[in-house]
Amino acid sequence: MTAVPDVHQPPFKRAVLAVNGGSSDARIVRLACQAAKLSKAQLVAVHVVEIDWSLPLEADVASRSEDAQRVLDAVEGIAESEHQEIETVLLQARDVGAALVDESSERAADMLILGLPYRKRFGGDFAIGSTIPYVLSNAPCAVWVVREPIVEISRGS
Amino acid sequence: MIGGRRPLPGRKLADRRVRVERPHSPYFRYTGPGQMVAKQAASVPLTPAGRLVFRARSLVFGRPLASEEEIGERLAKKKALAIFSSDAISSSAYATEEILRVLIVAGAAGALAYSIGVSIAIALLLTIVSFSYRQVCRAYPNGGGAYIVARQNLAPIFGLIAAAALLIDYVMTVAVSTASAIQQIQSILPAAFDYRIEIAFVSISLITIGNLRGLRESGNIFAVPTYLFVGLALLIVVGGVFRIVSGTAHALPPQPDAVPLGATEQLSIFLLLKAFAGGSVALTGVEAIANGVPAFKKPEAKNAANTMITMAFLLGIIFIGITIVARAFAIVPSVDNSGGPTVVALVAGTVFGASPLFYLFQIATALILFLAANTSFNAFPRLAAILAADGYMPRQFSFRGDRLAYSWGIVLLAAIAFGLLVLFNGDTHALIPLYSVGVFVCFTLSQSGMVKHWFTTREPGWWWRAVVNAFGCVLTFVVLIIVTSVKFQNGAYLVIILIPVLVAMMLFIQRQYGAAQRQLAIRPDYILRPPHREERVVIPIPGLTRAVIQAVNVGRSISEDVRAVYISEDPDAALAVRAQWERQVPGVPLVVVESPYRALVGPLLAYLDVLDRAWPPDKPEPITFVVVPEYVARHWWERILYNQSSKRLRAVLVGRPHTVVVSSPYRREEESRFDPPPVPETTSQS
Repeated sequence: MTAVPDVHQPPFKRAVLAVNGGSSDARIVRLACQAAKLSKAQLVAVHVVEIDWSLPLEADVASRSEDAQRVLDAVEGIAESEHQEIETVLLQARDVGAALVDESSERAADMLILGLPYRKRFGGDFAIGSTIPYVLSNAPCAVWVVREPIVEISRGS
Repeated sequence: MIGGRRPLPGRKLADRRVRVERPHSPYFRYTGPGQMVAKQAASVPLTPAGRLVFRARSLVFGRPLASEEEIGERLAKKKALAIFSSDAISSSAYATEEILRVLIVAGAAGALAYSIGVSIAIALLLTIVSFSYRQVCRAYPNGGGAYIVARQNLAPIFGLIAAAALLIDYVMTVAVSTASAIQQIQSILPAAFDYRIEIAFVSISLITIGNLRGLRESGNIFAVPTYLFVGLALLIVVGGVFRIVSGTAHALPPQPDAVPLGATEQLSIFLLLKAFAGGSVALTGVEAIANGVPAFKKPEAKNAANTMITMAFLLGIIFIGITIVARAFAIVPSVDNSGGPTVVALVAGTVFGASPLFYLFQIATALILFLAANTSFNAFPRLAAILAADGYMPRQFSFRGDRLAYSWGIVLLAAIAFGLLVLFNGDTHALIPLYSVGVFVCFTLSQSGMVKHWFTTREPGWWWRAVVNAFGCVLTFVVLIIVTSVKFQNGAYLVIILIPVLVAMMLFIQRQYGAAQRQLAIRPDYILRPPHREERVVIPIPGLTRAVIQAVNVGRSISEDVRAVYISEDPDAALAVRAQWERQVPGVPLVVVESPYRALVGPLLAYLDVLDRAWPPDKPEPITFVVVPEYVARHWWERILYNQSSKRLRAVLVGRPHTVVVSSPYRREEESRFDPPPVPETTSQS
């Protein structure tokens, strides 16, 4: 017997959005805002700054980096234009995927949203990398991967 | 938490993460390298009293708007017609009455025979002026109207004359419209006559608040009464004309307050010109659209030009229509300031009778007249802001408030207009002679500027455009001469005096700003060098207190050359202070100045002068930092108890050459720094 999904159920009540300053940030924030408006859900945007093993994890890296702050500030700006409140969290971690999964667990999020950008270089490609597979395998909640549309590029140019 | 970083465990040991605090986040947002944008929270006052005022302001005026929200405040054509045309269209409520008031002195026959001819002549003038201004809208999409056109094409002085005339015109619009609105209320509620100043105060205050809330919301407030008036006025015109055509129109007996009939003056060209001048008040407000082009939605110029023609058409129809109906029913105006019904009320009565529509029309007329003032509340602050940006008005007029409105201009306009109403006892007829002169000065200057504009730019079709504007210029100049001469004794002379006074004031302000700008300007080749002058610190002290200790520490951070100055009128107290100072503040010399005349500021200034004179003449003058210890009061009422001497010192020292005044505020929260460290408890074993 197949379970029929309840269409009246809101898609999520609390979602964690993984943002990295890339081109897909605006898309996932707008999508999340529009979905959150319907169900009055909470949104948490998380940006993880990866710290390599040459530095201690507590090193003063992200707080001194305007770039890291700007990623989340831009997200706030997009959410504001959508008239939606969003909480922003800046993390330092050795591994982005693990940090996202742990943050989602701690916040009891029922949705984790990530973007998958389309890279135009070398003929165009979706580089899934290691974060999305890790999150898909380990996140305790639903995962929503938003893939960017494929952009046609002329070969001759 | 370590330096704003909170370590958090992960599912595995290697999955630990650190949550980094974002202290700037509630107040600022990074938008680029080294660039931030302040959020609304950064503007919220920190003190409880300040927050209370902020909340009250938000309640009355609405939440503060960010600058980027301005684009949403642009006006669509229908809303813009209501806002910018309420002045012009509402003048049809009193223009006919002004014609009849003049012609009535020649007897009923004179008034009835010539009022329509005069109104048609005014409507023709309106048509020409509107077409001329339509061209201004297209040629000057950034607005500014007569001021910009005259300044750019003729000379700055003509621009200022136009600006002064416009500013007067806007103030008069508020005063006249409000007074006339109260008269409309009197027509259905005679008791309102006794409370006309109070009603004026309330209405001007409400319009002021509406405008301080911002343009878009003003549009919503004002659109309904404008369209209600236009609809009902057109209904009256249609109904009145139908009765005339069907032969049911007949002369009404004069109302009890009517001006007594009977010729006291011969019908002459002068009288007709005077009636024309009186009725030309219908043209006031026509230029408002050209001044407010940037407030329109895109394409601004086209929308403004089309709105201008719609407005002129509606005004012309209503004005001529009301005059025709008034003539057909032989309506006579009431005695001035008697509290009797207005001509437009009598005209409405002929069509609506005593039905609810009559009362609705009177209410709509009163409302559109109250709201006609809103045209000025949009235009006056904009013009003042343009003038301020050009340096002819104080800069405050170009600052926009929380709701993107030019708050200074709005408040000033409200204050002057209400003052005028009180001065003229709320009498429309007494105010009107001051009204038209400024309007026709603007028309003439604007049209002549446009003629020059077409000859300079030579755009396609420039010659016929120049002809239209030249014709308008000549015509409005002739009307200006007529209006000024026939209304001179009735008050127009005040405007003739006021315009040059305002122009002189604007030139004075511009000269002051220019001089200050020249003094503050930095040469393009100037490069800031490292400091080469020595610094010294002087700390005037009232005794030895924690605030003084803090000031000494501040002084030491500036220079090694620190000295305290104690000015005393009591030698014994001075000795005590010196003894305490030498014991507790070693290394910082104290200079005691005895002041037998009990002065504080004078001896300190004299001491500083002595220090300057004692400086070696071969060395550059040192910079003297005067560090003033101050005690920060916790409550507003404490402020009058403390720091009075500090304020006097700062006020005197600010203008002293080579002197920098440093305020060193001491807060009570800092007192723990001065408390001795806790002494560990010891147990005595005796």
